Amino acid sequence: MFTPGSKYLIAITGLSAVSFALYMLLVHPSAIGAVALIGLLAATSLLTGITLFTRDGHASEGQTSAAALDTPTPSMWPLVGAAGFALLLVGTITTPIVFIFGIVAMLAALVEWTVQAWSERSSADVAYNAQIRQRILNPIEYPILAAVGIAVIIFSFSRVMLAINKDAGAIIFIAAAAAISLVGVLISVRPQLKKSIVGTIAVVAALGLVGAGIAGMGVGMREELVVAAQEDHYAHKECGAEKSEHFDKGVSETISATSGADATIELIDGKLTAHAQGIEGLQDSITVRRSNPINIIFRNKDAGEFRLSAYLGKTKVADGVSEDLITCTQLLPQGAEQWLTFTIAKPSVSGEPYTLSIPGLAGQSVEVVVP
Amino acid sequence: MNHIKNASDAASRVNMLTRVIGRLKPVILGTAGTMFLASCATNAPQDTWQPKGPNAQKIDSLQKPVFAVAGIIGLIVAAAVTYSIIKFRDRGQPIPKQSHGNPALEITLTIIPALILAVVGVFTFRTVFDLNKTSDTQMIINVTGQQWWWEYDYPANNEYGITQPIITSGQLVIPVGTKVMLRETSRDVIHSYWIPALNGKRDAVPGRITINRIEADEPGIYAGQCTEFCGLSHANMRMEAVALSKEDFAKWVANQLKPYAAPAEGTLAKEGETVFLNQCTRCHQVNGLTRADGTPVIAAPDENVWSGAVPNLSHLMSRNTFAGAMFDLLTPECRNDVWKSDSASFGAKYLAGVSEPCLNQTDLRGWLRNAPAKKPMYANPAQLAATGGKYRGMPNLGLSESDIEKLVAYLLTLK
Ligand code: HEC
Ligand SMILES: [Cu+2]
Repeated sequence: MFTPGSKYLIAITGLSAVSFALYMLLVHPSAIGAVALIGLLAATSLLTGITLFTRDGHASEGQTSAAALDTPTPSMWPLVGAAGFALLLVGTITTPIVFIFGIVAMLAALVEWTVQAWSERSSADVAYNAQIRQRILNPIEYPILAAVGIAVIIFSFSRVMLAINKDAGAIIFIAAAAAISLVGVLISVRPQLKKSIVGTIAVVAALGLVGAGIAGMGVGMREELVVAAQEDHYAHKECGAEKSEHFDKGVSETISATSGADATIELIDGKLTAHAQGIEGLQDSITVRRSNPINIIFRNKDAGEFRLSAYLGKTKVADGVSEDLITCTQLLPQGAEQWLTFTIAKPSVSGEPYTLSIPGLAGQSVEVVVP
Repeated sequence: MNHIKNASDAASRVNMLTRVIGRLKPVILGTAGTMFLASCATNAPQDTWQPKGPNAQKIDSLQKPVFAVAGIIGLIVAAAVTYSIIKFRDRGQPIPKQSHGNPALEITLTIIPALILAVVGVFTFRTVFDLNKTSDTQMIINVTGQQWWWEYDYPANNEYGITQPIITSGQLVIPVGTKVMLRETSRDVIHSYWIPALNGKRDAVPGRITINRIEADEPGIYAGQCTEFCGLSHANMRMEAVALSKEDFAKWVANQLKPYAAPAEGTLAKEGETVFLNQCTRCHQVNGLTRADGTPVIAAPDENVWSGAVPNLSHLMSRNTFAGAMFDLLTPECRNDVWKSDSASFGAKYLAGVSEPCLNQTDLRGWLRNAPAKKPMYANPAQLAATGGKYRGMPNLGLSESDIEKLVAYLLTLK
């Protein structure tokens, strides 16, 4: 009556039922764990039901089909499917990524298990059955596994690089590259090297990398990056005359596009000049469109480092409190140029004039007129 | 035996075809004739064969010879094909000797077209570069497309008396004989600006500025329309370029710079101003308009409309069209009077703007009553999820007839 497979699943079902009950009593009925355990319970009950119903795939005395007489090879896919189902349930109340992992696991189990079961019944020749399974699944499995492997390597390695300081990063990078070439050379000069040795090297390297990645995640990002993120240096907050600690790091000094700029603003001999695209000569104000991204080029032709700062009106931060809206380029050395893009939604008549100016250089500004 | 039967079958089929064509002759000739006559229409304001300015003239001087050459070659090819079809049709004659490859012939037939194309190419490139010249620009106008109308703004330019930037829509006003550079872009999707009488078309692409030179020889109105499919009302996204003599242009500029004149107390227009303040100023800017407490009114199209812009109505009645030049602000008689006038009297007539007797009440009232019913727009408040609650176009505001009466009186004061 009870086949070995169903006994096993009945036991797991019982175990998950007990642990679910204990969890409910001892921890919390609405905690994530409870959802995971009830998911496990549901999955194992389902599988138990299926195994009992199919009598574990064993043919009973009365049946004579050759295919049915074969013992199916043990498969890990039902287990993966069940885990996927649990993840799916947990995902519904936690983060979507868990849900997606669950779906992926279930889909993988579905495809793999179906093809496996089908191939095992396709003939009485076990070797042929295995081969036909590979013919169908390997073209799907290899690319997916390769992609997952690459993703794991990149993710782990990047965690390491974010955690250590820049100099150590350079050294590790060189060391890792050297190690990879060394192993490559070794394998190519000794093609008769035992498979198990190559495998061991790969596994050790992979485990080491993943371990280092986990350790890197534990350590967190290096100080510098944490501070920069806290200061939100991508939001152009540091528009003063002095060199800022983060915003001015790694200034790009040239731009590659020349069309599409509304105007070019140049600083020459301490004077700020404007040249609107399409008209000869210099202007002391530029007219830009309302509610449309405006691109201008700032070019520093003066000795010394300067940035261009745009005053874009005020924004209400709380009732009765408003703050200047300012954006700026980085601090540019002589001869360098950079884009500045901004959008102004209200016409000039709505308040103080919009201006472009150089922090630390009084009396020089270009008015931005919005009709 | 069989072969002969097939051949005579084929011959009789060809005969039948000839007879059918013979009977259809009047129909074919009639259609072709109508098409030919249609191409001679006198009232075709968007005719590409009638350049009215030097830029369009350059294109015309290029396309006419190219068209002639291509036409002659086309006729020769068509004639050769027709001749071969008839002369060598299957009458059951034996299949002629098959030849394979003829280097001399093939090389000749490659070199001749290549030469023709090279000549055409040289002139085409010259024209393309000429049309992109920027060094001689005399005036720049920013042209901004959005679903489904064009906005024009004129940066300050002392040479033309533009002391303050001017903003308008629907009709682009330019001085004659002036090299005007349009700097085009878009606030939403790609549009394309084309006034066929003045130049070729140029796309208005969001995030980029494209330039388009125009210049008109004579005062007058030159029509065009958006030529890049841009959504629901693409077909209704029209524009008109209005060329005025230099003196008239100066008058137009002076009028656009005129400060706001509030309607007199106690008039219907004054009541209209109140309705306008309540209903319209969240989208429409009227420069100089103030609230009862004296604070200036700043419209917020960026908060209400997907493109972030709405026509500025400060001098609405100085233009002859509205809603992307889809409707006339003038009655048909008054409009004809302006369009048909000669170039000497045109300027004065255009500058007169829209007076009450000339106002196209039907379309303007219809617009205020229910704008999306007059021009298809995504303005159903229930279906704005994709745009975060912002309209594309002007919504139906559910105004009462008396409000509309007051608004029309008020809009008539915006000269
Ligand atoms: C939600 C924003 C919104 C409100 C509110 C609004 N409009 Fe409009 N209006 C528009 C848009 C957008 C257009 C341009 C439509 C087009 O041409 O495709 C427009 C066009 C017009 C035009 C034509 C202007 C031109 O030059 O082409 C007039 C006139 C007009 N509106 C009058 C009014 C009046 C009067 C009110 C108040 C009763 C009003 N509008 C309220 C959005 C609005
Ligand atoms: Cu368009």
